[in-house]
Amino acid sequence: MAAATPRIELRDVHKAFGAKQVLCGVSLKVMPGESLVIIGSSGTGKSVTLKCVLGILTHDAGEILIDGRPLARIDRRGFLRHFGMLFQGGALFDSLTVWQNVAFRLIHARHDPLGRGAARDLAIAKLGRVGLGPETADLYPAELSGGMQKRVGLARAIATGPQVIFFDEPTAGLDPILAGVINDLIRELVSEMGATAITITHDMTTVRTVADHVAMLHAGRVRWSGPIEDMDAAPDPYLQQFIHGRATGPIETVR
Amino acid sequence: MIVLRLVQSFLASLGRSTLGLLAATGRLAIFAGVAVSHLVRPPFYPGELARQLLRIGYFSLPVVGLTALFTGAALALQIWSGGDRFNAGTVVPSIVAIGIVRELGPVLGGLMVAGRVSSSIAAELGTMRVTEQIDALTTLSTDPMKYLVLPRLLAGLIAMPLLVAVANAIGIFGGYLVGTTRLGFNPGAYIKNTLDFLEASDIHTSLTKAAVFGFLLALMGCYNGFNSGRGAQGVGEATTNAVVTASILILAANYILTEAFF
Repeated sequence: MAAATPRIELRDVHKAFGAKQVLCGVSLKVMPGESLVIIGSSGTGKSVTLKCVLGILTHDAGEILIDGRPLARIDRRGFLRHFGMLFQGGALFDSLTVWQNVAFRLIHARHDPLGRGAARDLAIAKLGRVGLGPETADLYPAELSGGMQKRVGLARAIATGPQVIFFDEPTAGLDPILAGVINDLIRELVSEMGATAITITHDMTTVRTVADHVAMLHAGRVRWSGPIEDMDAAPDPYLQQFIHGRATGPIETVR
Repeated sequence: MIVLRLVQSFLASLGRSTLGLLAATGRLAIFAGVAVSHLVRPPFYPGELARQLLRIGYFSLPVVGLTALFTGAALALQIWSGGDRFNAGTVVPSIVAIGIVRELGPVLGGLMVAGRVSSSIAAELGTMRVTEQIDALTTLSTDPMKYLVLPRLLAGLIAMPLLVAVANAIGIFGGYLVGTTRLGFNPGAYIKNTLDFLEASDIHTSLTKAAVFGFLLALMGCYNGFNSGRGAQGVGEATTNAVVTASILILAANYILTEAFF
């Protein structure tokens, strides 16, 4: 039986900003319906990896394949139509209300855009999914707390039931209870909707709740990758230092 | 030997600056070309265009109107004072009209709107860049050039001629107020002199300049904001650069257009 084609695959991807080499040969695979969590210290190229897959940044060398086809040759608009992303800071549009943010893609769809009334109703339903009441719908992002902005960002990412979702630090800045709710929601999306997810996080609770597979980036390369069940027993000292949050070990820390 | 090194280092820095300037001009031209190419590629965002027309045109009216009013009034006094030296004080209405319509209306209007609008566009787009809102647009299947840049460029192009037309009228009115209340002109004669002297080509020149200035000031706001550096400092620099480059380009374009229409 032929092996299934990965939904997203990176082969020896390199990316530099001027003289600074950020990605030095990243290779990763994410199968359809799988949840990959990327961990690693700050500045190791996790967000850059996601932006290269999205085409927001152009990689210098290597290959990025979507459903087995090179990124340059796929219908990018078609790919993005079934894609959602939660940005680290929420990245909500300041000039639009909360519901307009959540329903942005539905209102501005090129084919069959949704009417404002229907889009608002759907946005309120999605806001409910992330624990926000309808009273937030007509507020502007600046009127919300950081945690609420993050939840609105999540509602926007899942508004159209995407097949591929990227989460950049989904629980950063949230209290532990809300972080638990968001983690469960991500897990639910992957399990129930069959979505393929890539999550970047430093939060080990998120890793354990959300991941099917884990990849650790260090110095622009994948240091370790494998199923979540194998993570704790893995002998890699870099991985063990990171998951246990030890100040001493092979990963240099600044004191 | 030291002199040779100094000359070499001077030439090298001159070469670097020239190459940098050419590269920046090329980047700006590509940016403008890509933005304008979206004019013929749907989808379009008429709501965004309307919002920008209001912001660039309607909300700039007070600033541009007051500038024109005081400039027209001061111009009338200056021309009276200068013209009086060779018994030509009666030329006030015609010189105010031609000065405002052909030169001061579009140039001062352009500079005032550059200060007000280029800075605000650069700050807005710069903040959107820094807070990843522009990346978010891409992930929501929306081209930022189409959604953010094109409506602002079009709004600059459409709103500035309208603004300058109003500013010209207000500037001439400023001269009329001073002429009739301070300098003893007959109101009817002042208006007749103005209308008799102005030609259609003066109006064309004025509105063409305004359209070019409107495009340039919106372009510089968008370009600098879109390519803003990181953090508050990056946005601040983008805002300053937008106003400075827009003002210089407006003054340079004014000379080139004046030569062309001469």
